[in-house]
Amino acid sequence: MFYQLIEQLRIDTLQQSLPLFGAELTLVVAIVLILLCRMLPVLEKVDSVWLGIVGVIAALIALRPFQPWSIGADGPVAIAMGQLQPTETFTGMLTHDGFAIAIKAILLFFLLLFFLLTKITKLSSRFDSADFVVLALGSILGMFVMSSANHMLMIFMGVEMASVPSYALVALQRRNKKGSEGALKYAVFGAGAAGVMLYGVSLLCGVLNSAHLPTMATRLSELFASEPSGSEVLVLALGGLMLGVGLSFKLSAFPFHFWCPDVFEGASAEVDAFLSIASKTAALALLVRVAVGFTTLPAEPAQVARATPPTIEQVAFVDAEAAPEKALQSSDPLAPARKFVVLLIGVVAVVTCTFGNLAAYAQTNVKRLLAYSTIAHAGYMMMAVPAAIAVAEVDKNSARQAIAYLALYAVIYLFMNLGAFAAIAFVREAVGSEEIKDYAGMLKRGPTLAICLTLILVSLIGLPPLAGFIGKFAIFAAIAQAWNLTSSPFLMFLLIAGGLNTAISLFYYLRIAKVMTIDSESDDTAPMQRPIGIIQNGYLVLVTAPLVLLLFNWDFLNAWLLEAVSHIIT
Amino acid sequence: MNFLTEPVGLSHFLAVGAFLFVTGVVCMATKRNTLGILMGVELVLNGANINFVAFASPYFREDNLGLEGNLLALFVIVLAAAEAAVALAIALNYYNNHSTIDVDKANELKG
Repeated sequence: MFYQLIEQLRIDTLQQSLPLFGAELTLVVAIVLILLCRMLPVLEKVDSVWLGIVGVIAALIALRPFQPWSIGADGPVAIAMGQLQPTETFTGMLTHDGFAIAIKAILLFFLLLFFLLTKITKLSSRFDSADFVVLALGSILGMFVMSSANHMLMIFMGVEMASVPSYALVALQRRNKKGSEGALKYAVFGAGAAGVMLYGVSLLCGVLNSAHLPTMATRLSELFASEPSGSEVLVLALGGLMLGVGLSFKLSAFPFHFWCPDVFEGASAEVDAFLSIASKTAALALLVRVAVGFTTLPAEPAQVARATPPTIEQVAFVDAEAAPEKALQSSDPLAPARKFVVLLIGVVAVVTCTFGNLAAYAQTNVKRLLAYSTIAHAGYMMMAVPAAIAVAEVDKNSARQAIAYLALYAVIYLFMNLGAFAAIAFVREAVGSEEIKDYAGMLKRGPTLAICLTLILVSLIGLPPLAGFIGKFAIFAAIAQAWNLTSSPFLMFLLIAGGLNTAISLFYYLRIAKVMTIDSESDDTAPMQRPIGIIQNGYLVLVTAPLVLLLFNWDFLNAWLLEAVSHIIT
Repeated sequence: MNFLTEPVGLSHFLAVGAFLFVTGVVCMATKRNTLGILMGVELVLNGANINFVAFASPYFREDNLGLEGNLLALFVIVLAAAEAAVALAIALNYYNNHSTIDVDKANELKG
């Protein structure tokens, strides 16, 4: 019996799970190598950022975002994205599916551009660079776990693994007073939010008697089918809300957004880009995982572990196979859970969006303004989740489409925010200021930067000629489609709130553009200390170009993402 | 009260866990010293840990969380230690720059 257990564990780990875990393993190896390089006198002189870039490229190759690995009858084989069946790895801890691979590819691609940016702006000195690169890689590793989490332990561990290195990233400039204050606030709020989230997880696990997400969904449907007592529902709702606290902290969603502006002002612009893009993309992926996981029943366990003795499931999670037939008898037992999730995420999304846009008006610091813009954008992106959940039972195709649109927005958002924060970093280098008033006359002082930043800002508003429009339009189209199918007034409200918010956001983005292009330099504008170099301008053009070019052809991106999510709601 | 006279069972453990949670949250909300807040976080995490271990115990319920609960508790202990290490380092760095660890004095960033 014991021997059998070990044998099954060996097969599951070595033959099934580890081949699908290649990208994460590559990152781990990169982290260890970068740390070891510091011990050898010969390799000490090598800048760790380059090693980090090599590690990220190796991880991208191991991930194979267009033809991911799958476990066939004889070992791992590469198959097309659309054919990849979701596979649970490490006895159900993580899941290997297209959605996770797409998010991981986005994260790695971002990390590549991010390392190049920090190389250009010289964020870290050569002797500090190992710490910085290792922290960034470690945080991304946590985000990988978040995006493929299938178990409550992995959800909590992913959130912690992603958060703890990013606290340290914010505090990277040790002598900076504002930086240390931002880091302190981030660490204290983050630790508190994680604690509350863990308590919520403990309640959910206790009532549902499992920590494995699909098993929890099955138990939840059984519970709703058998007339639950009021206290059980209360504890479930409380646990769900507390889990939401942790998620909304990571998303910087209302009412747990208050750390965001302070941290963004304190940290350097490059780290802000990391927090606003990587951290947010992973948090959205986790939100999708949790929301979809709790509101839709898992596929038959037959898909779980293939090509091995089926006993592995019996060891890992005791009675998962008896559940689905029982749950299917009742028409739609998860409807109350779905209603709760749609309402909760929808309301939070609208409030987040409105709050972020309104608070951005009063800002004079450009990083602070973009922090509020980040909050507002998190709100827009979250709106896709209720649209997907609301139609999860009615029309699975449009539900998947909504999630694909969410990922599409995340890709476009990557270019927009990376460009914006890169421009801020370049202006900080040239002018030494991050106040909006010091951007005056930028059209004369640094024309390429001024034009690129203006394009990025217009894209952030979501005006038609630029890619930001595609993202916003796609999200609104998903909500409209969901409203069409369910004719729920709440979705209409969501749509109207999203439209109004886009109009509100128009003015504060354009204010920066106006200062840069129309206002001329005055006496109290900080003078240019050095011109903006050709590498800086080239980088900005490189990041801005996709925003213009994507409008001509974004079908390939949509098709790839649609294939990626083709098995997420079954 | 039935709760006080009956033999110790799941609900008693949950009550201790809930008490720790509430104490921790109150501690986080009222303490002005960063170290006090971090202690509150530890209380909250340990409250959750008591829940996990109680839900996992086969002596209280026929249908329980099983080993998963114990495993979760172990991982949480490790993660809490890692988080506390980083948070304390950041608090120390803040002290070096500002000569205080009072969070109310952390008001340079506003708006």
